[in-house]
Amino acid sequence: MIEDLIGGLGVVMQPLNLLILASAVLIGFVGGALPGISGVILVVILLPVTYTMEPTGAFMLLTAIYASSVFSGLITAILYRAPGTPEAVMTALDGYPMTQKGEAGKALGIGILSSAFGGIVGTIVLIVATPMLADIALQFSSPEFFALAVLGLTVVASLGGNLLLGLIGVCIGLLIASVGLDPLTGTARFTFGSLHLMSGINLIPVIIGLFAISEVLKRCQEGDIHLSTKSFKIRIFDWPVIREIRGTVARSSIIGTAIGILPGIGASTAAMVAYSETVRWSKDRKRFGRGAPEGVAAPESANNAAAIGALVPLFALGIPGSGTTAVILGAFIVHGLTPGPTFMTGNSDLIYAVFVGLMLVNVLILVFSKPFIAVLSKLLDVPYSALGPVIVICCIVGTYSVQNSMMDVWLMLGFGLAGFLLEKIGFPLVSIILGVVLGPIAESELRRSLAMSRGDFSIFAERPISAILLGLAVILVSATVLAPMLQRRKLRKTAAKQS
Amino acid sequence: MHFTRRTFTLTSAAFALTLAAPALAEETAFKPAKMTAFVAAGAGGGTDNFARTVQPMLEKRLDTNITIINLPSASGAMAHQRTAQSEPNGESIEFASSTFITSRAAGQNPIGLDQLTPVARMQSDVLTLVVNTEKYDTLEEFLTYAKENPGEVIIGGTHAASVDRMAFLGLNDAAGLDLAYIPYDNEGSASANLLSGNIDGMFNEISAIQGYIESGEMKPILALADERLEAYPDLPTTVENGWNLTFGNERGVFINAKTPPETIAIIEAAFQDVFNSEEYQAYAKSANLHVRPGFLGSEDYRAVLEENLAYFEKLLSLK
Repeated sequence: MIEDLIGGLGVVMQPLNLLILASAVLIGFVGGALPGISGVILVVILLPVTYTMEPTGAFMLLTAIYASSVFSGLITAILYRAPGTPEAVMTALDGYPMTQKGEAGKALGIGILSSAFGGIVGTIVLIVATPMLADIALQFSSPEFFALAVLGLTVVASLGGNLLLGLIGVCIGLLIASVGLDPLTGTARFTFGSLHLMSGINLIPVIIGLFAISEVLKRCQEGDIHLSTKSFKIRIFDWPVIREIRGTVARSSIIGTAIGILPGIGASTAAMVAYSETVRWSKDRKRFGRGAPEGVAAPESANNAAAIGALVPLFALGIPGSGTTAVILGAFIVHGLTPGPTFMTGNSDLIYAVFVGLMLVNVLILVFSKPFIAVLSKLLDVPYSALGPVIVICCIVGTYSVQNSMMDVWLMLGFGLAGFLLEKIGFPLVSIILGVVLGPIAESELRRSLAMSRGDFSIFAERPISAILLGLAVILVSATVLAPMLQRRKLRKTAAKQS
Repeated sequence: MHFTRRTFTLTSAAFALTLAAPALAEETAFKPAKMTAFVAAGAGGGTDNFARTVQPMLEKRLDTNITIINLPSASGAMAHQRTAQSEPNGESIEFASSTFITSRAAGQNPIGLDQLTPVARMQSDVLTLVVNTEKYDTLEEFLTYAKENPGEVIIGGTHAASVDRMAFLGLNDAAGLDLAYIPYDNEGSASANLLSGNIDGMFNEISAIQGYIESGEMKPILALADERLEAYPDLPTTVENGWNLTFGNERGVFINAKTPPETIAIIEAAFQDVFNSEEYQAYAKSANLHVRPGFLGSEDYRAVLEENLAYFEKLLSLK
C-alpha cells in the first residue's frame, strides 16, 4: 500500500495534475459558497469537460471539486446565515450568532480547521480501510437506516429551547416531506393535482427560504445595520480555541466518517447527528444556538468527513453513498471503467492517485480558504441595503437552478416569509429541517423493513445494529426528558430539608 | 455475421447521409439557429449522460447550438409538459427514457403519445433478473424456490412506476409466481441490499451490473429478450421459457406532436446518422449499451411504445 501511495504521489505531483487540483478547489469554493449551487451541480457541469481528459486527471478533478464544495458552504452560512450547501445548515446555527457577536473571524477559522481535519480523517479511513468498511456498510439495510433516522430525530430533544415547539417543528418538517408521490406505491400525496408538487418539495428551497430569506426580511425590518464584523481576521491555528474544540472535532470526524460510509445517508444527516452528540456531551448546553465554537466545529468536521466517507462504498462496491457520488459513478462508466467489487484491484493506480489528491485537497483548503474568504468578506463592507437584494437574487437563481423550476422559487420565498414569522415567536427553525431531511428516510425505510419482514415489527429487535441504535434513541430521549425532572425534584428535596 | 452487420451499418449510414444532405439543402424550412433539449431526468444519470453525449454530435449535423435543460420533477412529467407546450417548430426536443411510458401507465404523467411524437429510439438496454450468487445459481433453482415459498422471495427495483416494476409484474403474471417487490430510491440501494442478501433478486439493466458479474457476487439468470444475447450465450431468455416479455429500458427523443412531419424527418435522419457514427458507437460500447441494437425510427418507435403502454396498463390493472 505504501508503494501504491508513493506511486499516487508521483502522479499527483505532475504539474498538470497539481494545476487541476488547485483549480478544482477554487471552483468548488465558488460553487459551494453560492446558495443553491451544490457539489452535484458542479460535478455535472464539469463532467463533459472531463470526457477528453485521461481518467486519473478526470477523477482527481471531480472528487476534489466535490470535497471543496462541501467545505465552502460554511462561509455564507456563517456570514449571512445563507447555507451555501445543504450540508452547512447546522453550521449556521452557531456560526451566524458568532458573526453577530463580532466573532466571524473566529467562527470561520474554526470552520476551516474542522473541515480540513474532518476531511483528512475521512481520507485516512478511505485509504486504510475501504474494502473492510464497505463490507460493514453492507450490514446496514432498511431496519438499520430507520433506526439511524430515529436516532437523528431525537436530536430535537437536545437542541435546547422549547421542546414542544421543537416537536411541532419536526411534525411540520415531516408534513412537508410527505408531499409528493408515495415512495413505495407511487400514489400522489398532498399534490392537489399539481405536477410541480408530484416530485415533492425539494430540500433546498426549504433551507434557503427558512434561513437565508427570513434573515434578509428580519434585517430589512430592523433597518440598515452594519454587522460588527467589518474587518475581521481569520486565525486558523488559534491554540486556545483548538484546545477548546479538539474533543468535538475528533468525535465529530469519526461520527461523520461512519455515517458517510453508509450508502444513501448523506453528509447533511452526519452534520445533524454530530451536532446533537456534541450538545449531549457538553457540560453547558445552553450555549448552543448562541454562538458556541463547538457548534461550528461539530457539523463542519462531520460533513467533510462524511463527504469523503461516501467514496468508500463507491470505490469498494460501485455503490454511491450520496447524490454527488452517484454522478461520479456515472462518470466512471462514461470513461469506460467498470465500477464494482473488482474496481479497486483493477485500477489501483487511479485510485491511489485520487486518494493522494484528496489528501492534498484538504491541505489546499487550509491554504486557499483565507485569501478566498478575504475577498468574499469585502462584501461585508457593502451596506446591507445593497447586499440584501444581492443575497435574495443569489437565493432565487440558486433555487431555480436545482430543478429549473419556478415553483421552487415561489416555495422558497414562501418558506422565507414563514421562517421570518416563526422566528418572531422563537421557533427553532432547524427542527423543521430535521423533519424534512430525516422524515423520508424514516418513513420509506420503515415501510421497506416491514416489507422485508412481511409486516413483523420484531425485525427491528432481531437485527443487532438496529436494536442497539433504537435502544440508544430511547435512552437518550428519556435521559434528556427525565434529567431536568429529576433535577427539579432534587432541588425541591434540598429546599424542603433546608426549610 | 459480424461482417454483414458492419457493412449494413455502413451502408445505412451512407444512405442516411445522402437522404439528409439534400433535404437540408433544398428545404430551407428547418435551419434552427438554436435548439433546446429538455432532459426528463436529473443531471448525471443514464438519460442525462446520453443527452450530453449526443449534444455535440447533433449540433454538428444540424449546424446549431443546443441548450440542455434538466427537468427531473415529477418523474420527468415536467419535461414532457414543457416539450408538448413548446413552439412546434422543431427547435425543442426531449430526451426521455421508458419512464415516460411507465409513469403514463401508472397515471403519474398527463402527457401521452397524442401530444408528443417519438422521433427516434437510440438505446434499448436489456433488462435482466439478477440474483445473489450465494442464494441461487440458475433460473430453475430460483423458480423452484419461488414456487415453494410464495410471497417470500423479494425482488428489488427502483421506484414504483419503473420498468423494473413492470418486469416484476410481468414475470409474476407470465410465470405464475408470487414474488414480492420493494422499490428503492435508487439503483445503488437495491444493489447494496442484493449484495448483502437482504433481498433475493433485482431487475437491472445488463449495462449496470458488469462489475458484479465479473467479481462473481451477482449473476443474471434471465434476460428479457427474444433470443439469447451474443455476449451472454448461457443466459436464458423469457421468450424461450414461453413468457412474452421483451421490453427493456429504452432511451429516445421526443418532440411536440404538432411539429411538421418534414421537420421531424430531418431531425430523425440526423439522429440516425449520429447513431451510425463511430463516435456514438464507441460511447455505446464503453457504456455497455450495444448489447441489443437500439435504433428505431419515428413510426416503429411509436408502435413499440403503444404496445408497451397497453401492456403496462394491463399489468397494473391486474392487482
